[in-house]
Amino acid sequence: MAQCVQSVQEFIQDSFVPMVAVLCSEDAEKVTRKNNLNFSELLRPFCRLTSEGHMRDPSNQLQVVKNLRISVNNVVTRPSVPSSGVPGHAHRRLLSEVVLTCQPAEGGVANVITAGDYDLNISATTPWFEAYRESFLQSMPASDHEFLNHYLACLLVVSSSEAVPVEKFLKLSQEQHRIQHSGEYTNPKWFIPNTLKYYVLLHDMSQGDEQRADSVYEDMKQRYGAQGCYLLKVNSRTAAAGADEQIPDPWSQYLHKSSLQSQDQYEDPAPVVVNNTAVENNVGGTSEVDGHDSEEKDGVLVNSLDNTHPLQLDTPSDTPGSLDALRAVAVETKPPPLTTGVAAATSHGACLTLNDHDRIRLFIQEFTFRGLLPHIEKNIRQLNDQLVSRKGLSRSLFSATKKWFGGGKVPEKSIAELKNTSGLLYPPEAPELQIRKMADLCFLVQLYDLAYSCYHTAKKDFLSDQAMLYAAGALEMAAVSAFLQVGAPRPYPAHYMDTAIQTYRDVSKNMVLAERCALLSAEVLKSQAKYSDAATLLIKMTSEDSDLRSALLLEQAAHCFINMRNPMVRKFAFHMILAGHRFSKAGQKRHALRCYCQAMQVYKGKGWSLAEDHINFTIGRQSFTLRQPENAVTAFRHILTNDSQQTSTQQGAFLREYLYVYKNVTGACEVALPQLPLPCINSSATRVYFGHERRLAEGEKQAATHVSLDQEFDRDLAAMWQDLEEQVVAAAKRGVVPATFQSTQCCLNSQTDNLRFPLAVVEEPIIVEVVFRNPLKVPLVLSDLSLLWKFTLKDFNRPQTQEDSVGDAVPISNEKEASVPRTSQKDDVIATEVISEFYLSPEETKLARLKLLPHQTGQLNILGLVYNLASTSSTGDTTINSTAASQTEGPSAAEGTSVRGRQDLEIQGPRLNQTKEEKTSVSHGPDRRLDPTITPPMPLLEVFFLQFPTALLCGEIRKAYVEFCNMSRVTLCGLRVASTHPDFFTFGSSSLATPLTPLSPTSFENCSAYKTLATPPGATPGSVAAVTLVSEGDFGSGTGLRGGVSGAGTGGKGITEIPLGEGTLKPGESTQLPMWLRGPDQEGVHEIHFLFYYESAEKGGKISHRVLRHTVFICASRSLSVRATACRSNTLPEEEEEERNGSMLVFVDVENINSSEAGVREFHIAQVSSSSKQWRLHKCINPAEDKDCKLTSRERGKLCFRATRCKPLQVTLKAAEKYTFADLSLGNELIITSTTPCADFFFRRCQPLESLRPPVAMETQGRHSRSQGVGHGGGDKDIAGVVRKCNEVDLDIIILWKAFVVEDNKQVILEGQLHVALQTIDKEACSLTPKEEAQEMVLLKFKPELPPPMTRPSMEQLSHLIKTNLQYPESYSHPFNQKSLCMVPVTLTLSNCSLAQVDVIIDLRHKTTSPESLEVHGSFTWLGQTQFKMQLGAQEVMRVQLRACFLHAGVYNLGTPRVFAKLADQGAMCETSQQTATPALIIIINST
Amino acid sequence: MAVCIAVIAKENYPLYIRSVPVQNELKFHYTVHTSLDVVEEKISAVGKAMADQRELYLGLLYPTEDYKVYGYVTNSKVKFVIVADSSNTSLRDNEIRSMFRKLHNSFTDVMCNPFYNPGDTIQSKAFDSMVSAMMVQAS
Repeated sequence: MAQCVQSVQEFIQDSFVPMVAVLCSEDAEKVTRKNNLNFSELLRPFCRLTSEGHMRDPSNQLQVVKNLRISVNNVVTRPSVPSSGVPGHAHRRLLSEVVLTCQPAEGGVANVITAGDYDLNISATTPWFEAYRESFLQSMPASDHEFLNHYLACLLVVSSSEAVPVEKFLKLSQEQHRIQHSGEYTNPKWFIPNTLKYYVLLHDMSQGDEQRADSVYEDMKQRYGAQGCYLLKVNSRTAAAGADEQIPDPWSQYLHKSSLQSQDQYEDPAPVVVNNTAVENNVGGTSEVDGHDSEEKDGVLVNSLDNTHPLQLDTPSDTPGSLDALRAVAVETKPPPLTTGVAAATSHGACLTLNDHDRIRLFIQEFTFRGLLPHIEKNIRQLNDQLVSRKGLSRSLFSATKKWFGGGKVPEKSIAELKNTSGLLYPPEAPELQIRKMADLCFLVQLYDLAYSCYHTAKKDFLSDQAMLYAAGALEMAAVSAFLQVGAPRPYPAHYMDTAIQTYRDVSKNMVLAERCALLSAEVLKSQAKYSDAATLLIKMTSEDSDLRSALLLEQAAHCFINMRNPMVRKFAFHMILAGHRFSKAGQKRHALRCYCQAMQVYKGKGWSLAEDHINFTIGRQSFTLRQPENAVTAFRHILTNDSQQTSTQQGAFLREYLYVYKNVTGACEVALPQLPLPCINSSATRVYFGHERRLAEGEKQAATHVSLDQEFDRDLAAMWQDLEEQVVAAAKRGVVPATFQSTQCCLNSQTDNLRFPLAVVEEPIIVEVVFRNPLKVPLVLSDLSLLWKFTLKDFNRPQTQEDSVGDAVPISNEKEASVPRTSQKDDVIATEVISEFYLSPEETKLARLKLLPHQTGQLNILGLVYNLASTSSTGDTTINSTAASQTEGPSAAEGTSVRGRQDLEIQGPRLNQTKEEKTSVSHGPDRRLDPTITPPMPLLEVFFLQFPTALLCGEIRKAYVEFCNMSRVTLCGLRVASTHPDFFTFGSSSLATPLTPLSPTSFENCSAYKTLATPPGATPGSVAAVTLVSEGDFGSGTGLRGGVSGAGTGGKGITEIPLGEGTLKPGESTQLPMWLRGPDQEGVHEIHFLFYYESAEKGGKISHRVLRHTVFICASRSLSVRATACRSNTLPEEEEEERNGSMLVFVDVENINSSEAGVREFHIAQVSSSSKQWRLHKCINPAEDKDCKLTSRERGKLCFRATRCKPLQVTLKAAEKYTFADLSLGNELIITSTTPCADFFFRRCQPLESLRPPVAMETQGRHSRSQGVGHGGGDKDIAGVVRKCNEVDLDIIILWKAFVVEDNKQVILEGQLHVALQTIDKEACSLTPKEEAQEMVLLKFKPELPPPMTRPSMEQLSHLIKTNLQYPESYSHPFNQKSLCMVPVTLTLSNCSLAQVDVIIDLRHKTTSPESLEVHGSFTWLGQTQFKMQLGAQEVMRVQLRACFLHAGVYNLGTPRVFAKLADQGAMCETSQQTATPALIIIINST
Repeated sequence: MAVCIAVIAKENYPLYIRSVPVQNELKFHYTVHTSLDVVEEKISAVGKAMADQRELYLGLLYPTEDYKVYGYVTNSKVKFVIVADSSNTSLRDNEIRSMFRKLHNSFTDVMCNPFYNPGDTIQSKAFDSMVSAMMVQAS
């Protein structure tokens, strides 16, 4: 129960006050009418006595009567309330009116109650409830079982202007007597038979003769005694005179609410004039009007919200209907009622001065203390005497007989009476009633002790008589008086009250009395902090018969729950909702809304979505009917935005209603576009794309993939592209990446770096991709969807001075234009694309791409989206539309389902996490995705590929064409390309332009990609090597190490400058270039990325360069596997001496490892070429008989070549950098490998090694630095160098092959080349780099790896220092029978392969350790010196003459000499056994 | 047999609510929500010291005209509420107790599911079917 203004004691005292009736003559009535008041109204403000009165109780004790109030009323003979206890219409409406006008103050102070985790904002007081209670108690009908509101006295008022006032008094007195005693009238009930009559002479000061009045008064005093009459002088001034004087109007608050104009005109369509009649019920009251009006009124109250269960959402079936109801209300509320001036503020008491006020006050005091109190005192005494005298006799006798004869049983008659409770009526003079009467009298004059004992006695009597109604009344008053006793000698008997209420309600069926009792009891319980009991009591009193009462009581019960020691928040909320529902049924919409809003605080955001939705929906509707559309919209918004658990039909209804309400809001006021809650936008997932949408293919042309919105963002890929771009920028900027370098981002999303303002180019579209989510289970349709933007014009070409930039910064926006669909939205600045319809299925997430095309430079801000929101036409919707269309306001209703609104795109940047402050607080960085800067035009490159394959054999060479188009109006220059696989493609070398290759793709059909020459006829294939010398720099693919040296052609690693005609591409121009591709060496699918870089020819733009990305996927299948080994040839060449050192054998094993059976038929090895700085292939040793070397599937072939050192004369300083290409054709065509495609790919081959594998790069670096290693320094490093050098070959073999492939029943010849790099003698090298498993599965090393110790050259390496060769006759005839010893001269040739001095030891002794060697070789011995020690200079050749001695004929192996060598200056090192020569067999023939 | 079974998180938001006459769902939501006040009252009445020995079953929370509301609170302050039809007189206290015990066991199983994120609404099928078994068969 809410807090009240009055205390409990005050409240109860005021509820039961002495009643005084008024009978007025017509003249007196006229006098008071001047003030717009009747006599009782005139007195009313002064009815509370400010001074204390005194009276004696029956025991002659003096008692003080404090703060007494009396109630003065006109005599009304018509019963205001039917005796049945059901309040009449007028009564009801009065109460309803009272509640309606008493609304909580706007923005009034609300208490914040904290209960658990709830903070509730609740108004602590409920003035409407107090007002209701007051008027309810005042309008209580008088009943027979109690006397409290029976009239104690009657004021007879006669005007002094009356001709014979005394006669008039007599008449009035007679009338009073008639009313009381004739039995004609039941209604005004009188307390005591001899009612106190008090004669009042009313004198109008402004009119009457004062002396006459005085004399009449004297006369009256004679007649009625000085204490029984009074002369009241009023109207000291005229109404007109008093108009300008401000006198307080004490009547306004008493003639309250009822006579005032209804505050809210919208509430009540017809503020009725009847208001006054309820109070002003004169003798001839206008009852017909009353009844009629109240019916009307009730008709209004029964509105659309009636007859629904409080906890019932509108069932789907009636939603259209309810919508109609809403419409109806909307229509109804539109014309404001014109009944404004009906009860125009009439001022009361216009003719009364302050003196008059005082006179009236004095009159009341005089009347009460002189007239009323003594009268009461006298009556109490009388009654007391009566009772005391009777008590001893009849009461005890009566009860005693009952006890004896009744045997404690209830007499049968009583049972019958119980059933028919109103049947038992005591006669007015019954002794039981006398006790009750005395009790009431005592109660009225605050003699609570006495009253209690009397009530108690009366209660016992009534109960024993089974007079339940009487008993209940006595119980009620006993409880109340017990409570009011000063000092509280006994506890408040709450059970008395409960019994009383129950009896009233169940037995007597008198709800009014029950309600009064409950109100009293609740108030008492509240004062004792028994909130729980009070709540129960109040809730029990709710019933179906009165919505208003139920609502008010439920609300009070709710307040009880919240005021408990442990506040019961949820019960509070629940009962608030119930109260709200009852309020709305009672037509108290404002109160209903307030209740729901208060309950909402509890349910909000706690996960009870079903309940929350229900409340929001109700709030929405109530707000709408109360013309608070903003609130309605907010409430409806809640239903739609939350993740609703409602059914789809329910959601559909919500949506329709929301749209309808929204339409009304926006229709009413022209404001900026409203924010719409639907659909949800995942703003962080917004992506922005700059540039045109790509055409992927145009005929046979295949466009560069670039970036598109269809691609997913990949962090690794992005990093890769950025790396590529950095490389190419570095190359373009001569090796330095500028500090301001920012990688180009074409597509911005949540993962990209959005800190900077992105740059967009004028005349190039900006595409914004927005992610919509439909949270509802009904489809949504957005129409006329477009972007909202703001644009600030800026001219970047003009020199930017500061004042300049400020000067023309006038933002342009399309917000205004966008509010009206289908208007051009400032297309001259920025063209905005409009999506006419966008459909979202239930619970769908869908992307929308919206385009802007800027036509001016400046700063653009994309603000949000604007669209029409509509629910799709379901069946329910169409019915609405059709019905609406049939009505007059058809067009607006038909469009009513669609609302134009906006939603802003606000993207929160990433959370900052750098500094400590940022880590400890939650702050977010900016996100500039949607704020692009529009820059002046830039060139725009498009790249198309023609005849670009998707699958290649490993090493296959294919020719394709690439077309570069400049799509913009600006010249393009500085075109470069960077790639992750630079060995995959080449544009050919610019310096060695090959006129032989056809320039247009059409003429290129089955032509070889290579430049070929027919072999001279007659020449044996493979016998002659064509030799060419080529510098690497010519091929524009320098390895990174040499980048700086060579000219314009080289950039960084993997960067190629594309040879455009004049270095530029004019606007609209396009150029086509050939491009050779070589299948990657590894089989599998390769993802190859190209990054084309270009600049504007006009320098100084905001964008320094632009890039274009392209990604291709190449499927490489296995072709050939080539293994090659180089060996020293031991045979002594027949030719020149110099070449002896430099000859080598190269074995090439070629295997067809192609696994596709269908495709490739066979491979032909067309040619083997070599490329090296030092070696070249000389000739083929085993030319195949059938010229070509064919390999079918899984076949293997072996080729053997001799390689020689290049001519020493070529090894000049300049030629040192040159590569010698030697071509050995095995077919009938000679492919010149030193020209474009072949040499290009050869030079590109090693690049991936360097870029991808740093350890390998180190190795290769070592290889390159070998020339410097010699002669520098000493020690281990030197040895290693020397030794390695001696074993190194550095020869690259290029295998050129042709594959015969059957494709669509057509034979196609494919060509390709494979590279094998021979590095070390005797070490096998393979064209397929071994699988790089080691690379992928590197052990994690936490310590820095120790630098590999400069190991000594291994034994194996050292064993290659000296090359040995035995020269001897192959067969030797010797006559053994003539001479038993055969001596054969043998020459041992030692050649030093290294560039250092070597100590050599030759040991000819047979090894004794191995027995088998003894066995085999024992048959011959070396003669002469068996051990030689010598020193060989660098590359020196030395011969040692040996003699072998044989004893028998036979075949002998002469290869027994063991050669040990060590480097000369390495003393500590022991000699290493050199590799033994191959068996040197000699045949000794006995020549007999 | 129950007409509505609800599981409510420690923070008093619903983890699971199921009621048999579907059209009255809202009413049951309100009923269960309101019953939380009584649950809290009952818990706080036990007092801090005795909180450990507190019986989980709270008994009848309050009767309404049509329904009886029973409560049960786990040690982790998760509340179970069962609403039964008042007219169903065959339902004894013991049976309600065993229903709660079953509910608690099943709830524990849900919590043990490593894929269940504590605090989410319960969507377990096993739990659902167990609850269905305890409900009045809607006819």
